[in-house]
Amino acid sequence: MTTCVVGVGNALRGDDAAGLVVVQLLEADPPDGVRLMTCEGEPLSLLSSWGTCDTVYVVDATNSGIAAGTVRRFEADAAPLPDDLNHSSTHLLGVAEAIELGRTLGKLPPRTVLYAIEGAAFDTGGPLSLEVAAAVEQVAAAIREELA
Amino acid sequence: MTRTKTIRTDYLARVEGEGGMTVRMRDGEVTDVKLRIYEPPRFFEGFLRGRDFREAPDITARICGICPVAYQMSSCLAMESLAGVEVDGQLRALRRLLYCGEWIESHTLHVFMLHAPDFLGAASAVELAQTNPELVETALRLKKIGNEVMRVVGGREVHPINVRVGGWYSTPSRAALDALVPDLEWALEASLEAVRVAAGLDFPELEQDYLFVALDADGEYPIDRGSALVTSAGTAFPVPAFLDHVVEEHVEHSNALHARLDGQTYLVGPLARYAIHRELLSPLARAAADEAGLEPVVRNPFRSIVVRTVELVHACEEALRLIRAYEQPAEPALEVVPRAGTGHGASEAPRGVLYHRYRLDDDGAILDAKIVPPTSQNQRMIEADVRAFVTAHATLPDDELRLRCEQAIRNYDPCISCATHFLRLEVDRG
Repeated sequence: MTTCVVGVGNALRGDDAAGLVVVQLLEADPPDGVRLMTCEGEPLSLLSSWGTCDTVYVVDATNSGIAAGTVRRFEADAAPLPDDLNHSSTHLLGVAEAIELGRTLGKLPPRTVLYAIEGAAFDTGGPLSLEVAAAVEQVAAAIREELA
Repeated sequence: MTRTKTIRTDYLARVEGEGGMTVRMRDGEVTDVKLRIYEPPRFFEGFLRGRDFREAPDITARICGICPVAYQMSSCLAMESLAGVEVDGQLRALRRLLYCGEWIESHTLHVFMLHAPDFLGAASAVELAQTNPELVETALRLKKIGNEVMRVVGGREVHPINVRVGGWYSTPSRAALDALVPDLEWALEASLEAVRVAAGLDFPELEQDYLFVALDADGEYPIDRGSALVTSAGTAFPVPAFLDHVVEEHVEHSNALHARLDGQTYLVGPLARYAIHRELLSPLARAAADEAGLEPVVRNPFRSIVVRTVELVHACEEALRLIRAYEQPAEPALEVVPRAGTGHGASEAPRGVLYHRYRLDDDGAILDAKIVPPTSQNQRMIEADVRAFVTAHATLPDDELRLRCEQAIRNYDPCISCATHFLRLEVDRG
């Protein structure tokens, strides 16, 4: 059984760093036997990042219009992701598209969980908002619990 | 009674960055075409001021996650030219290899994931994966190989960290590069097959009388550097004279500047490189172009997808050639001592010429910076293509016309994030 956690985001765009910060929080006391990774570039590389892992937790920020700091958890292996997660990235293909591409090609780990943290502000060089700073702690704790 | 029609796409999919498009027609005539770039300005030229000259490659790499190497190379070349240093031999070969990695990953992403869906009736790469899974599998593996070249040479897949003015922080061993060979050999075969697949697509009809512009790289197909710019009209000028010929202007509907060359709309990128430098392509790339039936000058912008696959072949073959001839240099970098003055550098980003100019003081602090990315140079040509296409196909149903117009924009693999630019604001209070 290989398990990995991938934090996705841009460290220089405010709340977009949420996924990366969750991985940093986990790195402070790394869970046994879990690969911790980040994806700061093009989300398509997720497909090779999780490679042959059996279980993957993906953490990303969203900008879908719901309350800032809201944490949503999706069991992506069980059902397609909701539409509002698509096209919420300024990248060419977002995390949701990468997951759906993985599903279509049969390259989705048997257990794929997406934690989506709704951001408040994505300004260049900005800090995490108070809402997201609280949410990343919550998500790191939740993932630790799932891994325990 | 006049009949007006507006075709509008508010959010262009499958391009990098945020932009939209408006086409206005009146009695069947096109009256207005606007590629609207509304991604906010990013102030890169502003915050380069006061920074040390050695920081420019890493700062400007952040302009783009798809073509960071282009920014690193153009900025290094500008700083080195000012200091009178030429990075050559194996240090330069590594730069070209890194750049081949970027061409492989960028061209793959655009050809297979962003542009091919237009030709194969899929709305997205996910849909394409349902109908043509083997194509998407090939793309993912090709892209990974491009990324791997960037990781081994540049230290990281995106925004490489090993590039410095004067060369590298460390150079890879011969063994590290040899390990890339089997994958690159597979990539070369996959690219040759991609040319065949692309050549077999159906292309909308459109022939444009382009003014092509590309770098001249002294007998090589231009990638990582060039000493001059050449045009299909037979004119040429050295890189330092770039801004004597290319003039950028603000237009109301775009956050990206519009460029003209000696007053004319022009095109940079794969179609231009191919038209001007076809004879300099690698042997297999040239043979693939012949086999695909590509004429010496391609004037149908929709066929740029075929030219990109030919360049993919070239990038793979060139990477293999560079690796086979590689000998690890004794030192990773040349010393670069700054001096006051102005330096210019240009390289061929996957989507076209990328020009940088920096003015430094005696301590090597940047006094001002000027960056002209390929997408802002192509903006006027993109609008002209859309206008010509709509004029010739005005009777198509709206939905198909909209789709074809979007496709015409995607012909250019536009990188809107690169092109956005600060609009100077002047307040007139009477």
